[in-house]
Amino acid sequence: MKQTILLSSLIFLFFATHSFAQQKYTLSGTVTEESSNETLIGVTVAFPELGTGVITNEYGFYSITLPEGEYKLRVGYLGFEDIVKSIKLNASSKIDFKLIEAAEQLEEIVVTQNIEKMDIRKPQMSVNTLSVETIKKIPVILGEADIIKSILLLPGVTNAGEGASGFNVRGGAVDQNLILLDEAIIFNSSHLFGFFSVFNPDAIKDIKLYKGGIPARYGGRVSSVLDIFQKEGNSKEFKVNGGIGAVASRLLVEGPIKEDKAAFLIAGRGSYAHLFLPLFDLDNTAYFYDLNTKLNYKINDKNSIFLSGYFGRDVFGISESFVNTYGNAVGNFRWNHLFTDKLFSNLSVIYSDYYYGLKLDFVGFNWNSGIKNFNVKYDFKHYLNDKLQVNYGINNIYYQFNPGKIEPSNDESGIIEDQLTQKFANEFAAYVDFEQRVTDNLSLGYGLRFSNFIRLGQDELNVYENNNPVNFDPFLLIYQEADPIDVVNPGRGANLATFNNLEPRVSLAYTINENSSVKASYTRLAQYLHLLSNTNSPTPLDVWTPSGPFIKPQLLDQYALGYFKNIDGGAYSFETEVFYKDVENRIDYIDGANLIANDAIEQVILNGEARAYGLEILFRKNEGKFQGWLAYTLSKSEQRTPGRPPFVDNGRSNLETGINFGEWYNTPYDKPHDISLFASFELNKKWSINSNFVYQTGQPTNFPIGQFEFQGLTVPYYGLRNKQRLPDYHRIDLSATLTPERNKTRKVQGEWIFSIYNLYNRRNAASINFRRNQDTGVNEAVRTSIFGIVPAVTYNFKF
Amino acid sequence: MRKCLYILIIVFSLMGCQDVIEVDLDTEPPRLTVDALIRIDTSESITKARIKVGLSSSFFEANQAVQVNQMIIQNLDYVPSGPLDQNFIILNETQLGIYEGSRNTAFFTSGELNLTIDYNGEFFLAKTRFAPSVPFNNIIQGDATLFSGDETELIVSFTDNVNRDDFYIFDFDFNEYLVSEDKFYQGQEFEFSYFYDNLKVGQTVTISILGADESFYKYMDQLIVQSGNSQGPFQVPVATVRGNLINVTGIDNTAVVDNVQSSNNFALGYFAVVQEFKQQIMIE
Repeated sequence: MKQTILLSSLIFLFFATHSFAQQKYTLSGTVTEESSNETLIGVTVAFPELGTGVITNEYGFYSITLPEGEYKLRVGYLGFEDIVKSIKLNASSKIDFKLIEAAEQLEEIVVTQNIEKMDIRKPQMSVNTLSVETIKKIPVILGEADIIKSILLLPGVTNAGEGASGFNVRGGAVDQNLILLDEAIIFNSSHLFGFFSVFNPDAIKDIKLYKGGIPARYGGRVSSVLDIFQKEGNSKEFKVNGGIGAVASRLLVEGPIKEDKAAFLIAGRGSYAHLFLPLFDLDNTAYFYDLNTKLNYKINDKNSIFLSGYFGRDVFGISESFVNTYGNAVGNFRWNHLFTDKLFSNLSVIYSDYYYGLKLDFVGFNWNSGIKNFNVKYDFKHYLNDKLQVNYGINNIYYQFNPGKIEPSNDESGIIEDQLTQKFANEFAAYVDFEQRVTDNLSLGYGLRFSNFIRLGQDELNVYENNNPVNFDPFLLIYQEADPIDVVNPGRGANLATFNNLEPRVSLAYTINENSSVKASYTRLAQYLHLLSNTNSPTPLDVWTPSGPFIKPQLLDQYALGYFKNIDGGAYSFETEVFYKDVENRIDYIDGANLIANDAIEQVILNGEARAYGLEILFRKNEGKFQGWLAYTLSKSEQRTPGRPPFVDNGRSNLETGINFGEWYNTPYDKPHDISLFASFELNKKWSINSNFVYQTGQPTNFPIGQFEFQGLTVPYYGLRNKQRLPDYHRIDLSATLTPERNKTRKVQGEWIFSIYNLYNRRNAASINFRRNQDTGVNEAVRTSIFGIVPAVTYNFKF
Repeated sequence: MRKCLYILIIVFSLMGCQDVIEVDLDTEPPRLTVDALIRIDTSESITKARIKVGLSSSFFEANQAVQVNQMIIQNLDYVPSGPLDQNFIILNETQLGIYEGSRNTAFFTSGELNLTIDYNGEFFLAKTRFAPSVPFNNIIQGDATLFSGDETELIVSFTDNVNRDDFYIFDFDFNEYLVSEDKFYQGQEFEFSYFYDNLKVGQTVTISILGADESFYKYMDQLIVQSGNSQGPFQVPVATVRGNLINVTGIDNTAVVDNVQSSNNFALGYFAVVQEFKQQIMIE
């Protein structure tokens, strides 16, 4: 019921404001790229005389309502030719703009690309945009352009190092990032345990990372939103591009189905089978592949539909006895509909799943686990007038969790088929979000998201004494799994737990002068899903679990304040932000918790809390032959799990020490200092050079404070959590791109990329383990480092 | 399942490189450590209990054996077999850090067993019960390999007891252990392969299957993880593995009912009494 009330008040709001716009007219339309009809996101349609303007949305649509008059209009998107036009606005009208790539026009390439240009007027802060052009320039391991690795160079973003999945934003955990590929939720962003990300950069148009000030249309993860848009496909002409790299090869084909109306795009990427062949014998395989597809059909001026799909898998095999397969699959149907020239809508129906499968023949079983979700979204963008835009919508997601199913892999196997109890949940949300220019200097963003999460019934549910699945041993001072006193079957239709949250989002921008502004924001977010992982970075085997009777949703409050400045007309930009956030109900695990194949995960989980704060600085040079940025982050990220409040049992008050004696401890992703430098230098028409430098404080770890022996085993033991650190992490990468001059005359255009990762061959520690050397019997500390210096060559082509 | 994770890890640890480095470690004062795993062959009428005590050390130093003031195993449920029999054993020091005592096997195989150690006025208590096991059906040498092609495969099979939830600890010799529970093979004949790295032809390997209760199974699982050689690039979460020894000094159950106020005063190690079946195999 609450939902309907919220919705109706929202509709009321929109009508109330609607009545203001009287003798004004609306200009609307779509901005596309001339050569391909690919819509462009974030294009500015500006009216310099009025000092106002609008930016195209995720589907290239814009709408602005202005008083009658004659105006000069400028459509600008860096990297493209500006369109300057005079228009007479005496009736509402629709104008579509087609932009032409700057480079194609000019003999002499003048690099003025600045797609990631900072908008100092919008209240939106804590956001970073990277164009695929930039991502492709950033030198990466083995020359494989990588979205996730690129965002690690932004302030406030780190990860646990090479071969670590995911990323951490502003001291948040990996499972706190909402990763959207064409609006579908991606649960695992990594191939090969984190060496590569699952996104094929050729098929991607644009990415946006929200680290704070997250708009109300997003929800469900507390740290960040990484919004990735796939290309739509070229509806003008047939195009092919691809690349041959050291790890994988890529091929993208796009073209019109019906000129200017419908287009398709198919992009595939596959690593070479036997990727690490030299290391093993011939029976073994390790490879990954992914496939992106998209169809779009522009039915008429008011309606467009899109179909997109993604399928990716990683496969490892060791002879026949061990085969491991995992990956994401996503299918998505979207319908853009223009109700009026001011009211844009999009309906999405999305299915996405993550699958993990394992065949272990020498123990005699197959194992699979995963998560599926069905997601329906209906979003509206209402351009009320040039001062006020309202976004509102609803979203419903149904989840099905399979924590694991085991079955015998052959006839002789003694394994009995078993399905760990599947879990089900439904998440509903409704939101409204206003963006308002209050005065010439002050812009406000304010919104509210209402989220409702229902943990649905399941076949088996444990019941515990005092409703307490984790016992504290008052003598040993450790937490232990409680034994269930009963197991009930609530049935699939039951409602095991309901959570409702109101999530306000507020932001403001105050423009000090033409080139500088101050912004502030407050964000509250609720997260109902948790990734069960107690290694330093998630593994593909980790499973997601929903909030429910024993696990509470994570609740975030984040405050951020920033100063933004464009220098020299935007040739340089400087931004700095401070943030503070705390997360209630961050789950923590009891010592020795086993998270895999655990049918009673509530027995090893305690609800703790987390907090992080920091300062971010980003200085960018946006124009010229030499471009790049310097990012610095100073931050702290901690968590703690105090003992639960004492309860009285048999006249005794039961005190608990908590995890780590209830003290705050560093999260595994606490990295106080983080410096990233990216520089790109266009030497001449043939050569360009790109380079990264990364320096980070070593990640927290644990060194033993002692050892003892038991039955011949040497067992190190530890003190308080995460007190020590690995050595600081740093490296330089370099790449050079060669574009042969004869390209101009050829149909096939090619380029060579030569890259060197970790130029000075630093052996950055991924971990330090303490063990007894079996041969010498001596105890030793062993450092594992993943990559030394790695050179690679990639060839890219298009025709 | 944990074993599978290791395999994934091994794949990737091969990609990286490992080297031994110098690390400065913090240390704490030595603690009492107790190795009180009593393995019982139920076909023997007399069982000798042998318990090792020592002091923990910093990671790069060796543990020292230590003398304790008294060590007793008591079984209050045990009915003495005659006037010379008692329901407790006082263990005697046979060499520094080694305490031994013998009794009827029946003393160990039913009832609650309490181990009490007096160490310089600190009293430690651990309770346990006999954990049964099952015999091997057979152990044969296979010819499969895993990664390097040099491994020796042993195929181990046994039949799980259908009437109880079993936990097993396999002692594969050379300080190599494996834990298993019957959750997914209740009452079945179960067979799996174990791979050795450096075995020579003609070498004899002794393999044991030990029973365990759930908490000892978890304890051993943790010990194997913490002492493991194959942790690889995913850093396994570390923990101080607390056994079942409780420091009961000063606990009077009126004024002091728990150890919450003396959280740092604990001993390491475990007291468990388990059934053992052993088999030897010569590598061909």
